Amino acid sequence: MSITLPTYSRLEIPLLGRRQRVWAIIATGLRKELRRPAAIVVMALGAAFTTITSIAILFIATIIPSGQAPNLTFFSGPASNFFVLFFVSLMASVIGAGLIADDLQSMAFTLYLSRPITQLDYLLAKAAILAPLVAMVTILPLLLAALVAAFLGFFSWTIALEAMGISIVVGGLLTLFYTAITLFLSSLSRRKGIAGAGVFAVNFGLTIPAEVLTIVIGNRSILYLSPWDNYVAVATAAFGASSTGIDWAVALAILLGVTVLAALVTYVRMKAVEVITG
Amino acid sequence: MLVETAGLTKVFGEVRAVDDLTVKIPDGAIGLVGPNGAGKTTFLRLLLSLLRPTAGTAKVLGRDIEDGLAVRERIGYMPEHDCLIPDMTGVGLVSYMGRVSGLDRDTAMSRSHDVLQFVGVEEERYRKVAEYSTGMKQKVKLAQAMVHDPQLYIFDEPTTGLDPRGRSEMLDLVGTIAKSPGRNVILSSHLLPDVETICKYIVILDGGHQIAAGELSQLLSGATDRLRIDVRGDRDAFARLLKDAGFDADAGPSGLHVSRKPGLEAAVFETAKSLGAEVRYMGKEIRSLEELFLELVARTEKPGA
Amino acid sequence: MNGVVEAVGVSKWYGEVLGLNAFTASFGKGITGLVGPNGAGKSTLFKLLIGQLHSDQGKITLLGENPWNNVPLKRRLGYCPEQNQLYGWLTGQQFVETLLRLDGMPAAESRKEATAALKVVGLSSAAHRPTRGYSRGMRQRAKLAQALAHHPEILILDEPLSGADPAGRVHILRTISEFAKDGGHVLMSTHVLYEIERVTNNIVLIHNGKAIASGNIHAIRALIDTHPHAVRIETSKPRQLAQALARMEHLVSFEFPAADTLLVRTRKPDAFYRELPQIVSDTKLDVRGLESPDDSLDAVFRYLVG
Repeated sequence: MSITLPTYSRLEIPLLGRRQRVWAIIATGLRKELRRPAAIVVMALGAAFTTITSIAILFIATIIPSGQAPNLTFFSGPASNFFVLFFVSLMASVIGAGLIADDLQSMAFTLYLSRPITQLDYLLAKAAILAPLVAMVTILPLLLAALVAAFLGFFSWTIALEAMGISIVVGGLLTLFYTAITLFLSSLSRRKGIAGAGVFAVNFGLTIPAEVLTIVIGNRSILYLSPWDNYVAVATAAFGASSTGIDWAVALAILLGVTVLAALVTYVRMKAVEVITG
Repeated sequence: MLVETAGLTKVFGEVRAVDDLTVKIPDGAIGLVGPNGAGKTTFLRLLLSLLRPTAGTAKVLGRDIEDGLAVRERIGYMPEHDCLIPDMTGVGLVSYMGRVSGLDRDTAMSRSHDVLQFVGVEEERYRKVAEYSTGMKQKVKLAQAMVHDPQLYIFDEPTTGLDPRGRSEMLDLVGTIAKSPGRNVILSSHLLPDVETICKYIVILDGGHQIAAGELSQLLSGATDRLRIDVRGDRDAFARLLKDAGFDADAGPSGLHVSRKPGLEAAVFETAKSLGAEVRYMGKEIRSLEELFLELVARTEKPGA
Repeated sequence: MNGVVEAVGVSKWYGEVLGLNAFTASFGKGITGLVGPNGAGKSTLFKLLIGQLHSDQGKITLLGENPWNNVPLKRRLGYCPEQNQLYGWLTGQQFVETLLRLDGMPAAESRKEATAALKVVGLSSAAHRPTRGYSRGMRQRAKLAQALAHHPEILILDEPLSGADPAGRVHILRTISEFAKDGGHVLMSTHVLYEIERVTNNIVLIHNGKAIASGNIHAIRALIDTHPHAVRIETSKPRQLAQALARMEHLVSFEFPAADTLLVRTRKPDAFYRELPQIVSDTKLDVRGLESPDDSLDAVFRYLVG
C-alpha cells in the first residue's frame, strides 16, 4: 500500500489575486480549444472564408461602376457578409456550447465554486474564452479586408483606418451578443448539443423566417425579430450606407438589450445552481 | 475556534434547513453526523459561503462567511459526487485547480505532483481522468482539495463507492491529514465507525439543529463501567461461576457483560482455567457513536414520523 | 452438495472482460456476506443467480434449481439491485404493489402485502409520497420492501446499505437479521466490512472472478498461516507476562508497543487461547484487556486480497 507517504509539504507563499485566478481559467480554456481539431478547423475555415469573401465583396463593389468614388459606405458590404452569420453559428455551437454545459454535466462546476472565485468571475472567464474566438470571424476578417484593400490601393489609408475603427465597434457588438447568447444557452442544460442546436435555432430559426415573412407580408418591421438583420442595420448605419429599412437605433437597442438580458439571466441561473448534493 | 455560528438560519421556501444554529466548533478533527435531511449539506454550503444565510452569522477560521473569497482560500473541499473534468489529466486538473485558487503556474505544478504522490496516484497522473477507476478518481478529488494547502478540509462521504481496499486507503489519508498540525478536518459521513476512528470532536445535527456536540471521548463516556468478555466454551456456566464469585454477569449475544469490580480480571481467568474455556476478547464496554446517535435522534424524533 | 447456492466451474465473460472465472463454491445458509474488490464478480454472480445472465461455462444452482429461464424460482427469491433509480412518479406503495402484481398477486392482496412490507422496512409514513422525493436511504428501504413483499425464501441484496443514513443502516441490518432468524437465507454484498460482521460470520470472498475463501471468518483467519495471529494484551507488567508466556512453543514474536501493552504473535491461536488462562492465573499477573486486532474480516480481506 502506498498511503502514508509524508511527501505532502506546506505551501509557504501567499496566494495570487483574483485577476490571476480568472486568467488561469481563461488561459486553460483557450489552450484547450486551440488543441481541439474540431475547434481549430472551424476557426481556420471561418476566419479564412469570411476574410476572402469580404475582400471579394469589397473588390466587386469597387469595380462595379456606381457613380461613387470609393468611400466608407462600401464597407457595409463585407460587414453584412452572410458567411459571418454562418461561421458564428458554427463556432458558437462547436466551441461555446460546451463551455458551461460540460461543467454542469461533469459537475466540475462544484469544484470551481469551492475555489476562491465568485460565480461572476467564472462567467467572465468563460466569456473571455469564447469572445476572442468569435471575434476571429466577426472582427478579424473586416480588419484584414480593409488592410488588403488599402494595400491594393482601392481605398485611401484614411478611409481604410476609419473603416477598421468602425469594424471593431460593430464587430465587437456582434461578438458580445453571440458570446452572451451562447453562454446563456450553454447554462440551460447539461447537454451541450442542446445549446449548440439553440444557437442555430436563434440564428436561422429567426433570421430566415423573418426575411421570408418580410417578403411575403411586405412589412419590414418583422426584421427586428432577426438578430442578424438588427446587426446589419446597425453596421450599415455605422458605415453611413443607405438604410436597410429598419431603424438602426431600435436595432441597436434590441441587440444590446438581449445581450444584457442573456448575461443577467445566465448569472442568476449560475448563482442558483445546486452546488453540493447529498 | 474553527467554526462559530450565532443564530445561523437558512430557509428554502417552507423548509428550515438550518434553524437558528449556534455552535462553537473547536480546531481539530471534527465529525459532522446526522440523518438524511438534517441540514448537514446546507450547513457545509453556508460554511463555504456558497449560500447566503437567511439570518444569523458564521465565522470560519475567524473569518466572517460574508467574505466568501477569504473563507474559500482556506478551505479544501472534497465533494461526495463526481466532479472531475474528464478530459484533463490528473496532474493537469490538480494544478489547474491550484491556479484557480491563486497559485502561480510553477508552484501549482510542483504542488500538484506532491499531493498526487501523497494520495498515491503514480504514473496514472498523466492519463485522462475519464479513464480512472473510482478509487483513483476519489484520490484525485482529495488531491485537488489539498493543492492550495488549506487550513480546513471538508470531506463529504469520502469513501462512497470505494471497495474495502480503497476505503481503508482513503481513511488512512483522511486520518493523516487530520493528524497534521495546524490542519483541521470536517468529516461528514453516515459511516459512524469511520467518524469515530478519525474524529476527536463530534457535532450531531438533526432537523437543522445541533442536538449534541462535544469531545468524542466525553460524549461516549458516562456509560456504566463494564467489561465485555468473549468466551469460547460453556458460556452459561462461565456466567454462573462469575455470579457465584460475586460479580454481576449476564450472557448476551456478543459475549458476557460484567460490571467492573476489583479482582474481576483475575476471576475471569480463574474461571476460564477451571472450566477449560477460552477467553477470546476482554475489554471495556464502550458505547459506540452509533448507539449514542440512535439514542439522541430517537429522542428528538417527532411522533408519527 | 446442500448449499443454498452451488456453483461448479462457473464462468461468465463480457466479451474479453472477466465476470466470473471458473467460480466454484457452496454456501448460503442463513446470512452470507459477499465481499471483494470492485470488479471481482459479485454483481455478475448475483445476476447469474437471479437468472438475468446465463453462464458461459459451468453449472450454478440456487435452492437446488437452475436459475436460467426459471420463472417459478423467481417467486422464491427477492432481489435488490445496486442501482438507486426507482420510477420516480410512483409512490413507495405503488412501486411495491406494481411489482407484486407482476408476480401475479391479486390486487387486494398485493396492496395488503405492500403495506406490510413497507412497515417492516420502516417506510410506512412515506409510503404515499412519490419515490422521487426519497433520500438514498429511503430508496434502499423501498427496494428492500419490494424484495421482501412476496415472502421469498432467499434475499439477494447488492450493496443494500450504500447511501443510507445511520438509522437507516441499523434498520436495514435489523430487517435482514430478522428475515434470517425466521428461516430465510440472505446473500448480501457490501464494501463496508464491519457491517457484514454485525450480521454474520459467514462470508464468501471473491477476487478476480473466483471464490478465494468461503466459510466462517475466524476459521478462514486461522487458516492463513503466513500471517501469525496477533493478540494484544493490556497488562501493567508486559515484560513479566512475556517471560511467563515464552514457553509456549507456537509463539513467533513479542512486541511492547506501549508501556502497558504486550503484543504477541502466534501460529496456533487455538492453543494460545487454551493455555493462556492457566498461565495468567498461575502467575497472578493482572491482565486487564485482551483483543485480537487481526481476527476480523478486515484482516482476512487484507491478507488474501492485499
